[in-house]
Amino acid sequence: MEGLVVGIDLCDAYTQVNCADERKTWTIPTVICRSKSADEWYVGKEAYAHNLQGDGVIVDKLVKLAKKDGTATICDVRYPARELLTRFLEHVLRLPADEYGKKPILQLVIAVPKLEAGLIRLLKECAGQLGFEDQQVHIISHPESFTYYILSQKKDIWNGVVGMFELSDERLRYYEMKVQRGMKKTIVLTEYEDMEEGFSLEILSTSSGCRLADMILSSCAERMMQKKSYSSVFLMGKGFEKREWAEEFMKRISSSRRIYLEDALFAKGAAYKALDHLQEKTQYPYTYICEGRLKSTVSMNVIHKGQETSVVLAAAGDQWYERVAALDVIPDNQKSVDFVVTPLDAKKRKLVSIPLEGFPERPERTTRVHIQVKFLDERTMDVHVKDQGFGDLFPSSGVQLRQEVML
Amino acid sequence: MSLLLCSQEYARRPYHVEMLGIHLFTAQELAYVIYHYPLLVLDGFINDDLLEFLKEELNLGMLAVKLERWLKRQEKLDEALVLILQECGYYNGVEINRFRHRLMDLRKKHPAEFSKLKADELFSMHQYTRAARLYEELLDRPADKHVDDTFLVKVLNNLGACHAQTFHFDKAYEAYEKAYLRNGKEELLQRMYILTLLDEKVRLGEHIQAVISEEQKEAWAKRLKDVRDRAARSDAVVQLEALFKKDSIRRQAGQTELVHRWKQEFRRQFK
Repeated sequence: MEGLVVGIDLCDAYTQVNCADERKTWTIPTVICRSKSADEWYVGKEAYAHNLQGDGVIVDKLVKLAKKDGTATICDVRYPARELLTRFLEHVLRLPADEYGKKPILQLVIAVPKLEAGLIRLLKECAGQLGFEDQQVHIISHPESFTYYILSQKKDIWNGVVGMFELSDERLRYYEMKVQRGMKKTIVLTEYEDMEEGFSLEILSTSSGCRLADMILSSCAERMMQKKSYSSVFLMGKGFEKREWAEEFMKRISSSRRIYLEDALFAKGAAYKALDHLQEKTQYPYTYICEGRLKSTVSMNVIHKGQETSVVLAAAGDQWYERVAALDVIPDNQKSVDFVVTPLDAKKRKLVSIPLEGFPERPERTTRVHIQVKFLDERTMDVHVKDQGFGDLFPSSGVQLRQEVML
Repeated sequence: MSLLLCSQEYARRPYHVEMLGIHLFTAQELAYVIYHYPLLVLDGFINDDLLEFLKEELNLGMLAVKLERWLKRQEKLDEALVLILQECGYYNGVEINRFRHRLMDLRKKHPAEFSKLKADELFSMHQYTRAARLYEELLDRPADKHVDDTFLVKVLNNLGACHAQTFHFDKAYEAYEKAYLRNGKEELLQRMYILTLLDEKVRLGEHIQAVISEEQKEAWAKRLKDVRDRAARSDAVVQLEALFKKDSIRRQAGQTELVHRWKQEFRRQFK
């Protein structure tokens, strides 16, 4: 391959980078430092070193700061956090480029712990600043990245339920992935739960703290994993770098299951997905239901060339932030536009009707209605409806409606 | 109750329907015009320009090829209109069948009646100058069983209305007078008298003046006043007054749009 295919796991504490088909993974703290004497920038451990030497000013928690549109003042210059984050990403992306001597980056997938519309926009903007085209950059959630990673492993690893514990200073999180094989399609369902019992890894420095941590994890495992048929369990995060303290927990999860330790799973999952974007035909032909993906299909029943048919505006498993659909319809003897929302359990199908309030009275079938649908998150559909009129015969009134629909 | 899915094609270069003074942007609008104005599309509507529009703008190339063949052979021209309706998917089978029967009925009409209906349709679309031209042509037709005094009075009456709508009050008077001389109906006297109230240059002929009483004049003048009062309270006037109460920026924008619309309508009426 001529260029690089990069996956990044971007967290406030650390950032991991991996390239598809390459073993090496870089783990660097998500910090940036500017030299006090020159316009020179450092990231990760180098940033800490310059800060310790006293010749640089460091900024941490870059993602959080950029998300709230914050700024940081370094040497009397106020820098918008998004600019600092862009600089940080630029340095990070240089690592694999320098290592493998390859350019350009063909695809970039960034995995984040929590997918939010604002963060997606922010990261896309940063990538845009670095010269990426919109279709070259994808932002996914940790659960989706986990899913891609698992599905890229041998099938016997994921032929049953796959569980994963993530333990770091930031969180104690349990992920679970299962595959539902159906007649028409295979659905991959990934869920996660943030455990309230999360703790600081500092407690692992004392034996009583270790016992407490082991007890916490064991009780979480018992609660989350009971009576399920697992094919594998993964452990990831700084908390599992040493596992001697977790004797009871390890015993509990390892009974008749394979245990894997993976230190850069999200970056690798992101890289697998990035690679898949370059393929003509996806290597993962499944419907994904996880954070960042729609859990329901939205369709409209319409008449097309005299035949009743259903037009799918968004399907369950579509990435909600990338999904935008638009179509024009002409109401015939009806004063609303109706959407059918079908969750995975089709019995819970519901009809959502948006009345065409304020639209002018016209003869039947002489109002063309433009409908645009996008999603604010995986549960909120944003519908724009506009009166297009009917050419010169019945000019548009310009009336527009906007409604948020809970799916 | 249903929603018709529109094809995505929206013409960048719309098709101008001269007869109606409008532009068509979509297949649905084309179907609507054909269905609602059969008299205006029966002869000469399908031409090379329309075929080009179907092909280039509406992505209906196959339909255009078929129609082109029929057009060359000058055959199935009515069926061609039906075919367009079928391809546009805007009307259902029952409606298309109804349209086909309407075409057959129209084809059975006496040529003079057919022309009059066509002129009436143009009048209903505010195409007064085009309608007047057709009415005038009808007046030159030799009399026959159909083209009799009753028919000609109707034509003259409608011709008068066309001229009145385009502010040619003298010509309108002339048409009404000719109609009156054929049937002597009071309503025509009323129209002639009202024309004199609308335009002082229009004068009643002596023979007409002689048959109108003072009471009639008074009643008709009152009727005109009532109509004017009603017009002053109409939605259009209310909207206009509301426009003048807006701030200067919005008022100016509204005025520009309104004048533009009036100009377009005016040009259309006089074509």
